[in-house]
Amino acid sequence: MLEKTSRPADVRRWPGSIPVGHRYTPGRAGEVFFAALRDGGVLLGSRCPSCELVYAPARAFCERCFSELAPDTEVGPGGELVSFTVAFAGVDGRPLDVPVTYGLVRLDGADTVFLHVLLDAGDEPLEIGERIEAVLRPGTERTGSILDIEGFRPVERTA
Amino acid sequence: MGRRVAVVGAGMTRFVRRAQETGKELAWEAARAALGSCELTLEDIDAVCLTSAPDAFDGVHMKGEYLSEGAGAWGKPCIRTYVGGGSGVFAGIQAWYTVASGIADVALVVAEEKMSSTQPHPQGAFLTIFDSVLERPLGPNLLWIFALEMQRYMSVHGLDKRDIARVAVKNKRNAAGHPSALLGQADITVEDVLASETLAWPVQRLDVSPISDGAVALVVAAEGVAERLTDRPVWIQGVGWNLDTAYWTNRDLVFPEYVANAARMAYEMAGVTEPRKQIHVAEPYDPFDYKELHHLEGLLLFERGRAPEAARDGVLDRDGDLPSCPSGGLLGVGNPIAAAGLMKLAELFWQLRGEAGARQVPGTPERGVAQAWGDLMQVGTVVVMGVDGAGTGAAAAAPDAAAPDAAAPDASTPPVAPVGRSLSETEFRSAVGAVEHEVDARYEWDAGIAVGRFLEGLRRGRILGRSCSGCERVLVPPRMFCERCFRATDAWVEVGSTGTVQTYSVCHVAWDMRPLETPQMPAVISIDGSDGGFLHLLGEVDPNDVTVGMAVEAVWKHDDEREGSILDIAYFRPKGRT
Repeated sequence: MLEKTSRPADVRRWPGSIPVGHRYTPGRAGEVFFAALRDGGVLLGSRCPSCELVYAPARAFCERCFSELAPDTEVGPGGELVSFTVAFAGVDGRPLDVPVTYGLVRLDGADTVFLHVLLDAGDEPLEIGERIEAVLRPGTERTGSILDIEGFRPVERTA
Repeated sequence: MGRRVAVVGAGMTRFVRRAQETGKELAWEAARAALGSCELTLEDIDAVCLTSAPDAFDGVHMKGEYLSEGAGAWGKPCIRTYVGGGSGVFAGIQAWYTVASGIADVALVVAEEKMSSTQPHPQGAFLTIFDSVLERPLGPNLLWIFALEMQRYMSVHGLDKRDIARVAVKNKRNAAGHPSALLGQADITVEDVLASETLAWPVQRLDVSPISDGAVALVVAAEGVAERLTDRPVWIQGVGWNLDTAYWTNRDLVFPEYVANAARMAYEMAGVTEPRKQIHVAEPYDPFDYKELHHLEGLLLFERGRAPEAARDGVLDRDGDLPSCPSGGLLGVGNPIAAAGLMKLAELFWQLRGEAGARQVPGTPERGVAQAWGDLMQVGTVVVMGVDGAGTGAAAAAPDAAAPDAAAPDASTPPVAPVGRSLSETEFRSAVGAVEHEVDARYEWDAGIAVGRFLEGLRRGRILGRSCSGCERVLVPPRMFCERCFRATDAWVEVGSTGTVQTYSVCHVAWDMRPLETPQMPAVISIDGSDGGFLHLLGEVDPNDVTVGMAVEAVWKHDDEREGSILDIAYFRPKGRT
């Protein structure tokens, strides 16, 4: 029953797309986190007293015990590099002009890890477990975005 | 059939146009309210049943995984089920088999939807439910489906739109007593509905439920456990679900056979033999007002075409003989798709326990039915709930329910978690930390074997079908297999290029709700010589002169303009016109 074609170019195809975009608002905890980052250059986490965990960036609830949480705990700006990768290609598979290093970062005072970019890695190879710190954009340039953190850089290399 | 399963707790957020909460924060608020209502914590939960409608609404691919921690699924067995608009009621079915099977003693059931994220309009996410090759080139929008089905329903039964509009009035009035409602309106009238803007005739603005954000959760437990958790468990007596063919233009849209099949399945399990007598309260799916009536007939609670007169005569009112959507339904409370379906199960739980506050139906209802509908207008999901755990259909002992609370609505009964803040349009546009992304996904759809040949026929000015000798049908659009006989179809058959208008609409808006300069007249055309037909457009006719049953003929593009596309037929016009 299957029919084969030896001329794939002859196969009729209908191009199309799903014409939607999205506007994501950051939610109860996220609004506080981003306002503090923009206005005070401060990184906030949420402490769950029953689980003895600090989530960072801040969250509205504890995923383990369902307690309501508040963005009440300042974390960072220093932290630990938990893992990293160097991307040589973009999402479309094409080579990047400049490779980008992405890192998983645990901020001081936090138990959770989040994704950001690493800056100024220099010639010396990065090491998992090494000390890093957040580099914030100047207050006048901050808009309330995760990109208000320009990235993270190794601490000892800039000392 | 496995262990008996009861609902022991329920909670929901308010339904709002734009919630400040993220999707997972909404899920958490509803789940926490449900757990709190039966004094349980996450530690008591063995498994999580999660549902949400298309990923494209929240704009999160793999939305089930994204929502999981808000649904309490950290470190627990959890899966998201999905049957389009039928998802919310299906979550109750999923919960039933999760517990009846012995996999879990206590399960948390969570449904969430955040439609406000989608820009410019959530309908954009629906465009690909239409066949990419045969339907989407015609420029359809989701309203067409409802308008075409509503027109067919009204036309075949000779219904008065006033009777249908009463459903919108009833539900928006009922919702005035619901602390979660988005569109409760105690003083709305039939005239208001009939005077509202026409979107796609016969669908007008107030016939339609609103785009909403919200979440709902239930706690369900097995027999032996449920009785320890509450004095008044509400038992899931029967469940049923069913799918019809996705070739929707091949079905007679006048009756939802798939809902009837799902209802028969659920009633048999529940021991319900006379639904109209044994069901005391109904929560049929009401995204549009006519759908509630359509579904009440599908649920076998009224004869075909007779539900509208029940609406007219007050039978469906909260104090009527068969209260329908006492919650206020999707039309009144709101329609965050999956959450709205699960809200119907929560409403039965509260009604059957006598806890529905200002919305409580009179008497002591012992059994109710909830239903939802979705996918490509082809799925019916049905749950029967009752105070009698035996579910035999025998007269149940009177529940020791508290007397209905005649006091003013109390936001704590039923458990309703207020959303943090319903964002205004300005707040939504200016929220700190908000970001926007386009979905940068493009597709190339193949016509496939059968439709490829069909399109080649159109290029030559011929309409082709496939015959099935099993059911003796000629299938248009053609397919290489028969979905009923599940065998290969037999031969190509040329059918006529004339047909009959099964149903039509006059559509005034595009999918993003912008007004059209020239209204479109979509129609489902039954093709002569076939047992099917397809969606196309009408032309060379005044909208006022179109009728269901009108004979039409294809108007072809010139030979040299035809390219093997559904648009090789320019449109259909009244037959015999020269």
